[in-house]
Amino acid sequence: MKLSQIGIERLFRIASLLIILGLGLEIISLLWFHPLSFVLFAFVAASLIGLGILVYLASLVFAVSALGQNRG
Amino acid sequence: MVGILVCQIVLSIILAAIFLVRPSLTTGTAWKIVAFIGLCVLPALCIVGGMNTHMQRSEQTKFCTSCHAMENYGKSLYLNDPKFIPAQHFQNHRVPPDMACYSCHTDYTIYGPLKDKLKGMTRIYMQYVSTPPNPITIPGGFQNAQCLHCHAGARGFEENPVHSAMMSTLTSNQLSCISSGCHDSVHAASQVDHLKMWSPGQ
Repeated sequence: MKLSQIGIERLFRIASLLIILGLGLEIISLLWFHPLSFVLFAFVAASLIGLGILVYLASLVFAVSALGQNRG
Repeated sequence: MVGILVCQIVLSIILAAIFLVRPSLTTGTAWKIVAFIGLCVLPALCIVGGMNTHMQRSEQTKFCTSCHAMENYGKSLYLNDPKFIPAQHFQNHRVPPDMACYSCHTDYTIYGPLKDKLKGMTRIYMQYVSTPPNPITIPGGFQNAQCLHCHAGARGFEENPVHSAMMSTLTSNQLSCISSGCHDSVHAASQVDHLKMWSPGQ
C-alpha cells in the first residue's frame, strides 16, 4: 500500500506540474495578441493541460486498482 | 469574460500548486473532491474558455492585420475611393469595423468549419515555415454567399434590375459578385501604397 501511495503521489505531482505549465502558457497566450498565440494555446497549452488531466485520471484508476489488490 | 477566465486559471494554478507540494492531502475525502475539481474540472473548463476566447479574438480586424502578410489588406480598408468594396463597407460601417475581415470571410481559414480551420493551419505553416503565396488567394474563390448573407432580401439589392436578372446565377455562385465588370475592385493590396488613403476624423 505504501509503495502504491508513493506511485499515486508521483502521478499527482506530474499531473499538477503539467496543468500548472499548461495554464501558465494559456495566460501568456491570452496576453499575447498575435496569430501565433492561438497556436501556442491550441497545440502546447491545451495539450499540456489535457495530458495533466489524463495523468490525474490515470492516478485515480491506479489508486482504485491498488485498493482492490490490497482487499484481494 | 476574459476576467472570469483569468480568475478560473489562477484558481486552478493555486489548487494544482497545493497538490504539487502536498499530494498526500488527497487521502482525505474532502481533499479528494477538491483534487477532482482542481485537477480535472477547472482545467477542462480553462481549455473550453481559452478556446472560446481565442476564437472570439480571431474575429477581430486587428487580429487579422497583426499578421505581416495581411498588413496591406488592412491598409486597403482605408482606401479613399468608394469603388473599393471592402473600404466602402468598412468606412461606412456596413460591417462592424472591429470585425471587418470576419464579416465578409466567415468561411475563410480558422473561421469556418473544421476543414477551413485545417486550411488555416496550412496558412500558419506557410507564414512561418515556407513562403506565403503572392498574391494571397482564397482556395475555391470568394463565395457569393458572403455578400448574399446581408444583401439577399435587401430592397436596394433585389430591386436593382441587373441583380434581379441574374439572381439564380448569383445564388448558385456561377457568376461571382466580384467578377470583372461587376464589383471587381476589392482589396488592391499590391497597390495600396500608391493610392489615396482616408484618415478617420479628417
